Amino acid sequence: MAGRVITVTSGKGGVGKTTFSANVSAALAELGKKAVAVDTDVGLRNLDIVMGLENRIVYDLVDVVEGRCRLQKAVIRDKRIATLHMLPAAQTRDKSAVSPDAMAKICAELRSQFDFTIIDSPAGIEGGFHSAIAGADEVVIVTTPHVSAIRDADRVIGLLEAAEKQQIFLVVNRVQAAMVRRGDMLDIPDILDILAIELLGIIPEDEFIVVSSNRGELAALHATSSAGQAYKNIARRLLGEDVPLMPVDAEKGLLKWLARLFKGH
Amino acid sequence: MGFIDSLVKRLSPGGYAQPSKQAAKERLKLALTYDRGGLAQGTIEQLRDGIIQVIAKHLAINEDEIEINFDRTSEQDKLIASIPLRMPPRPRTKGGPATTTAEKAPTRSSKTG
Repeated sequence: MAGRVITVTSGKGGVGKTTFSANVSAALAELGKKAVAVDTDVGLRNLDIVMGLENRIVYDLVDVVEGRCRLQKAVIRDKRIATLHMLPAAQTRDKSAVSPDAMAKICAELRSQFDFTIIDSPAGIEGGFHSAIAGADEVVIVTTPHVSAIRDADRVIGLLEAAEKQQIFLVVNRVQAAMVRRGDMLDIPDILDILAIELLGIIPEDEFIVVSSNRGELAALHATSSAGQAYKNIARRLLGEDVPLMPVDAEKGLLKWLARLFKGH
Repeated sequence: MGFIDSLVKRLSPGGYAQPSKQAAKERLKLALTYDRGGLAQGTIEQLRDGIIQVIAKHLAINEDEIEINFDRTSEQDKLIASIPLRMPPRPRTKGGPATTTAEKAPTRSSKTG
């Protein structure tokens, strides 16, 4: 098997890399693909708790790198979806424990065993970032519509181009339709104009992300979550399906009804 | 503007009349020009001083009102300098020698690729 290794990165912290990695891995697994989510945020691991797998960790990424266990032993199999897996980061070490070369080797091994290896990177552009992208075939940059996140995304795009990564995709997270409508949030065309890379998906702001991560559940596995639906769409696009983007500025519910009433149509 | 739109505007945090998106875009473009070009802090200030020195040799300019900006688009980055000229007061129609000065555009733009 020659699977795909996709690194999820951003530069800025807190934009939703971990939530994206967890949910897209789950959505790919639900579509029948063998998927593994890998946490490379050594010292600040979080993918485990977001996926609800924090109590099942025995070995971690650093144990594999340092030869204390085989890769298969450190990979946790999810009990909800048989094809979903997770490789946790070490919590008591620092980023220097996983070099880019070591990470590239692990990626090569994962590529031979999984259809999709989704690598969650740490925030920042230091050593941890370079290890996270070392084995990547494709890179997804997660940003929000905030100036700080977009500026950092631009910096990361520059570093990825310098590292000769050819396939770089953008995901815009936490888009608030009402703010976009009244012109108080950068819209997707604005962001694409500034960053000039290919768009993979748009994820709406959704309170259910907090609820699901509180419970250790995955929004992508819930039928009613709007963000969950966006993650599922992204997973299908990764599989080559032509899934249209969900419109950002569609007025819905009561507001749509009121708008129609007052505009007279 | 529809009722809903004005209602939404009134709900805008901070109560601003204008949406903030344009400010975000313009500020980001300038910041990214610095980031991408690896320009040192204060490059614009140095440019401004240099431009003033050169232009002031030939023309009377309004130094305080010079504006220098970068304009980034996906096709091309531009440096746009707006340099207001300080013109002698217009001669009145009555009295005084009729020294009319050819009117010059109040601003001048220079571009760099």
